[in-house]
Amino acid sequence: MTATEPVEQTGAEPERPERRTVLASAAFGGLMLVAAVCVVVDAVRLPETSGVVGPAAVPLPIGVLLGAVGATLVVRARLQLRDAAPGETRPAHGGLRVAAMVATLVAFAVLLPVLGYVVSSAALFAVTAILLGAPRPAQMIAYGWALSALVFLTFDRLIGLTLPTGPWGF
Amino acid sequence: MDQFGLLLDGFAGALTPGHLLWALVGVTIGTAVGVLPGIGPALTVALLLPITFRLDPASALILFAGIYYGGMYGGSTTSILLNTPGESASMISALEGNKMARAGRAAAALATAALGSFVAGTIGTVALTFVAPVLSDFATSFGPPEYVALMAVAFVTVSALLGPSLLKGGASLLVGLTIGLIGIDSQTGQPRLVFGIDSLLDGIDVVIVVVALFALSEAFGHLLTGTGHSTIEPLRERAILSKKDFKRSWPSWLRGTALGFPIGSLPAGGAEVPTFLSYSLEKRLTKHPEEFGKGAIEGVAGPEAANNAAAAGVLVPLLTIGLPTSATAAVILTAFQSYGLQPGPQLFSESGPLVWTLIASLYIGNVMLLVLNLPLVRLWAKLLTIPSYAIYAGVLVFATLGAYAAGGTTVDLLILCALGLLGLLMREAGIPVAPAIVGLILGPIAEEQLRRALTLSEGDPSILLSGSITIVLWAVVVLAVLTPLGRAWWRRSRRAKATVTPGSGR
Repeated sequence: MTATEPVEQTGAEPERPERRTVLASAAFGGLMLVAAVCVVVDAVRLPETSGVVGPAAVPLPIGVLLGAVGATLVVRARLQLRDAAPGETRPAHGGLRVAAMVATLVAFAVLLPVLGYVVSSAALFAVTAILLGAPRPAQMIAYGWALSALVFLTFDRLIGLTLPTGPWGF
Repeated sequence: MDQFGLLLDGFAGALTPGHLLWALVGVTIGTAVGVLPGIGPALTVALLLPITFRLDPASALILFAGIYYGGMYGGSTTSILLNTPGESASMISALEGNKMARAGRAAAALATAALGSFVAGTIGTVALTFVAPVLSDFATSFGPPEYVALMAVAFVTVSALLGPSLLKGGASLLVGLTIGLIGIDSQTGQPRLVFGIDSLLDGIDVVIVVVALFALSEAFGHLLTGTGHSTIEPLRERAILSKKDFKRSWPSWLRGTALGFPIGSLPAGGAEVPTFLSYSLEKRLTKHPEEFGKGAIEGVAGPEAANNAAAAGVLVPLLTIGLPTSATAAVILTAFQSYGLQPGPQLFSESGPLVWTLIASLYIGNVMLLVLNLPLVRLWAKLLTIPSYAIYAGVLVFATLGAYAAGGTTVDLLILCALGLLGLLMREAGIPVAPAIVGLILGPIAEEQLRRALTLSEGDPSILLSGSITIVLWAVVVLAVLTPLGRAWWRRSRRAKATVTPGSGR
C-alpha cells in the first residue's frame, strides 16, 4: 500500500467530510477559478489612468487570490474524495425540485411586470409551498392570495412603494 | 460626564411617541423573525432596508436597532425550544437550553435566557455609551493607512472565525470582494466586471446579495434535503426563574457580559468567540459539573449573556470606525450609508443627536424586549408551529419583494436567483456566507482607503506600515493567518506520528 499523508483540516471541520461536501467544495473551487480568469482578464483590459493607483490595482490581486484559493479547494477536495464519508441519504428528486424552483423564480421575474404583483406573488407562494411538500395545494393558493394581497395593500397603498400592476389594476 | 448630558438629550429624542412606536415595531418584528427558524437578523434588516426609504433616518435606525436586539432574543427562544439555532452565535444556547427543555425545564431556560439577555444588553449598552465616544475621539487621528490595516484585520478574523476554516472563510470573503468590484469604479469612472450588461453598471445591490445568500439558499437547501420534522418542546408553565435558578444564573450573566462586550467590541469577527469562551468558562467553574451536557442552567445563562453583550460590543467599531464585524452589522452599515451617513469618527461630531437617540433607543428597546419576552414567550413559541413549507414560501415572497424594491427590474430578480444558487453551492460545500457579506460591504471602502493612502505616498507602499498602530494591526493580521496554519501543521505532524505503524513503509 502506498502511503499518502492523511489530509488534515483546520478548525472545527469534521474528520471525515461527507462526499457531497467534498464534491461541492470542488465545484465551488472550480467556479472560483473561472471567476479568477474573468476578473484578471477584465482588470487587464482596463485602460491606464493618470492616477497613481488605477482601477485595476485592486481587482488584479483579488483575481490572483481567487485563483489560488479556488485551486487549493479543488486540490484538497481531490485528496479528500478517497476517504470521504457517504453521508446521509436525501429524499429523491431534490435536484429536480431545485430546478423547478429556479424555473418558477425565472417565470416570476419575467411575468411580474405583465401579470402584476398580487397574481405573480400568490403563484410564487403556492408553487414554493407545494414544492416543499405542502399537503393541501388549494389551501396554499388561498394563503398565497391572502399574503400577497396584504403585502400589496400595505406596501403599495400604505407605504407608497410602487409595485407592478397587471391589466386588472393589482 | 459629557456623555450623560448627550445621552439625556438622546432619551428626549427617543421618547417621542413616534420613535417609541418605531422601537416597538422594531423589537416586535425582530423577535418574531428571530423566532422563525432559519431567518436571522441580518436578513430581516436587509429585507426592510428598501422599504424604509420613506422614513426619516432616526426612525429607520431605531427600527433597525430594535430588529437587531429583538432578533437576538427571538433566536434564543428557537434554539431552546426547537434546537435549530438561527445563527451560529446561539448554537451554544441550543446545546444546554434544548436539553433543559427536553427535561421539562423549558420555562426556566427561557427565563434565564431573557433575563440574561436583558442584563447583558443593558450593561453592554452602558459600556457602549462610555466607550464609543472615547474610541471615536481616538479614531479621529486615523489616516488611510490605519483604516487599511484595520480592514485587513477585520477581513482575516472574519474569515477565520465565522466559518469552519480559514480557507473556506477566505473563499467566502473573496466572493464578497469580487461582487463588490462589479460596477463603475467610483474614482476613475471605469466599468469593472460589467460584461456589457447595463444593469450591472451600478453594481449589485447589497440587499439582493444578502437576500440571495441567506434566504434563497436556505429555501433551495430545504428543497434538496426535505424540510424534515423537528419536534418542538412544549412549554407549559410561565417563564419565571425560581430562587435557586436565579442564584445559579446571575454570576453566569455577569461573567458572560464581561467576556462578551470587550471581545465583541474588538475590530475582529463577531459574537461567536465569546459565547464559546463563556460556555467553557461556566463548565469549568460550575458546582454542578454532572449537569453539563444534560441541561445546566449556567450553560444557557452565560453564553446568552455573552451573545447579547457582544451584540452591543459590535456596535462600538461599527459606530466609531465604520467597521462591521458581523453580517448584521454590515447590513446596518449599508442602512446608514443609504441615509447619507458614514459611520466613523465624524459620525459623533456631525450627527451627534441622531447617534445618541439611537443609543438611547437601545436602552428602551431592551426594556421593551424583556416585557415582550417574559410574559409573551408562549405566544412567540406558537410561531414555531407554523409548518416550514409555509415559512419558506412566505420568506420567498418577502425576499422577491425586497429584491424588487431594491432594484426594480426583472434583471435584479434574475441576479437574485443566480446568487441564490451560488449560496446553495456554498451551503453544500460548508462555506459560510457571513464573510461574503462583510467583504461585499467593506471591500469598496477598503479599496477607497488603500488608493487614498497610495495616492498620498505617490505609490510608495511603505506608507501602509507607517506609524505604530498600523504595525501592530498588521502583526495581528499575520498572527491570525499563521495561527490556524500552524495548528493544522502541528496536528498533522502529531497525527502522522500516530499513524505510523510498523511496516507502513513511510
